Amino acid sequence: MSGNPPRKVTGRSFLRLPSARVAIVVLLGIAVLTVFGSTLAPQNPLTINANALFQGPSAHHWLGTDYLGRDVLSRLMAGTRLSVLTALEAVGIGLILGVGPGIATVFLGRWFDFAANRLTDALMTLPYVFFAVAVTAALGNGLVQAMVPVGILLAPFFFRITRAATLEHSRAQYVEAAELMGASKLHVVRVHVLRKVLPTIAVTTASMTAAALLAVSFLTFLGIGVQPPAPTWGGVLSSDLDYLNQAPWAPFIPAALIAITIGALNALADAFRDRRGAGALAAQPDPIIATHSTLEPADDDRQSQVA
Amino acid sequence: MTVIGLPHTASRANAAGALPPRRRRSRIVVARLGAGLAVLVPIVLLSSFIAYSLGALSNSDPAATILGQDAATPAAVARLNASLGLNHPLIVQYWNWLTQAVQGNLGRSYFTQIPVAQSIAQRLPVDLSIAVLAVILAVIIGGGAGTIAAVRRGGWFDRTVTAVCSAASTLPAFVVGIILVVLFAVTVHWLPANGYVGPSTSIPQWLEHIILPSLALSLAVSADIARQLRTSLVEVLEQNYIVGARVRGLPYRRILFRHALRNASGPALTILGNDFPLMLAGAVAAEAVFSLPGLGQLLLESAQTRDIPVVQGLLLVVSCFVIVVNLIVNTTLNWLYRTDDGIGA
Repeated sequence: MSGNPPRKVTGRSFLRLPSARVAIVVLLGIAVLTVFGSTLAPQNPLTINANALFQGPSAHHWLGTDYLGRDVLSRLMAGTRLSVLTALEAVGIGLILGVGPGIATVFLGRWFDFAANRLTDALMTLPYVFFAVAVTAALGNGLVQAMVPVGILLAPFFFRITRAATLEHSRAQYVEAAELMGASKLHVVRVHVLRKVLPTIAVTTASMTAAALLAVSFLTFLGIGVQPPAPTWGGVLSSDLDYLNQAPWAPFIPAALIAITIGALNALADAFRDRRGAGALAAQPDPIIATHSTLEPADDDRQSQVA
Repeated sequence: MTVIGLPHTASRANAAGALPPRRRRSRIVVARLGAGLAVLVPIVLLSSFIAYSLGALSNSDPAATILGQDAATPAAVARLNASLGLNHPLIVQYWNWLTQAVQGNLGRSYFTQIPVAQSIAQRLPVDLSIAVLAVILAVIIGGGAGTIAAVRRGGWFDRTVTAVCSAASTLPAFVVGIILVVLFAVTVHWLPANGYVGPSTSIPQWLEHIILPSLALSLAVSADIARQLRTSLVEVLEQNYIVGARVRGLPYRRILFRHALRNASGPALTILGNDFPLMLAGAVAAEAVFSLPGLGQLLLESAQTRDIPVVQGLLLVVSCFVIVVNLIVNTTLNWLYRTDDGIGA
């Protein structure tokens, strides 16, 4: 930690955690696959080979072949882009819809806060698969259509966490001092609040990306939004499932890829959270539907109870 | 034994005034339940409106779909729209739909003309069986593992639980389901890989068919519960009142179950409530993996045919389920942290 003040999570101090390093390496690999996946793929992911069905891993097919003799490694590599980009699309939507109102609600008064919170509660009662599939029923079957609702359902998580962090920092004494010195609300938000809230948002973004990736894999697994020959992680898994008797090991490969990527994102979020100190971010879980507004200190013994 | 005093006892007793304990408690319970229900009204209205407005978002023309290409003359379409109530403004349509829905009428499928409520009621037992069994499994597995890990913290069991939980919570339900199918159905043929048998036909067969899906569903939730329970139980076990109770010579088991677990289980319960929507999503996964005729399959089928009334009805039912489960969780939390008057005395 030479020279690094402990208050900040710098890249270097963060990288000291082995879990963070492993996670970053994995995610860099995924990023490379996202950009160059189809180019780097050793074979054409769509080429059918009737003489090589259900082959196990070999020198020619590192991860074996599927029920049409297509190279599984190439299919997974080529399928990375669609899976990752649509997950990022959902996170982007959630970030934009959640963070802005999350910060604003603290400064816009009780009514806005009440309305925003009830909308958040309502959205959180919708399970993402049901909502996403329902939206594709209304708007037509497409992965983009399916991931917009997932993004909308991620927004409440960003909203709540941003709101809580903003609330905490906006009550700090230096904010009060700045306000007394005549600083505008916008200035306070920009200089004093936003900067403090960003790490929290970063952690949430990592775990929400994991959630979005899971959603993409699952929706493509269900066959939402992809035309059959196009490769996706979930699609590979789904086709493996139909041929379990021929190749019972096959689903483990895409499953491992999905689990490792999600695990890496979660590990990154955890590492960041640990580095920040448990007190700052490891809050008690909030129920989906809170029976009171948290803008004022709750008249409830629950908080003091477990804390 | 109330003397040992859970930490909130004193503050509650002062705050609640001079009413006799039992009446005071029931008044607090009723007030909280009332407040909880009042909060639910806007939430139910909003989520049902979101569900309903999907139909308005839709670019498909229901009347043309029902009538078919040939019979869809403008006059026939207008007549059918009027009889479906689709010629009213969205908010009026929504209100009519909601008031009908409250009476159990969710409209009819555009294609099969089967009442939506009937199709949902037919499929609901499948998901309900899986979800309820999954919750039970999650509480047993997660609660048990978390408790033992906290009591024996630092030991091999604790370390194993921590490691397994980190791995398990990254595994999505459909992946776990596939692994279970491969292990128990394809490799050793102990359990059926797919299908569903109702409990009215044969209870052992029913269990046989739902145990793997439920297990797949419960794993991630168990991991969440175990981690949360371990954290809060470790914290609670270090509190003065636990040390005090031990010094007084109370049996450890009694301290653990009566005092520590009761105070530590709140966050884990909250997790259970929060994970419930995910469990419903997982139930769809389990249905897909194990080919069960549940709500998820109904949803996928009606999404393919763009059968909007079915989709709207499903969203409404599912979100009501989440709301009800959360109400139960909140009420249980309030009950857990109720004032301690007269308990165990």
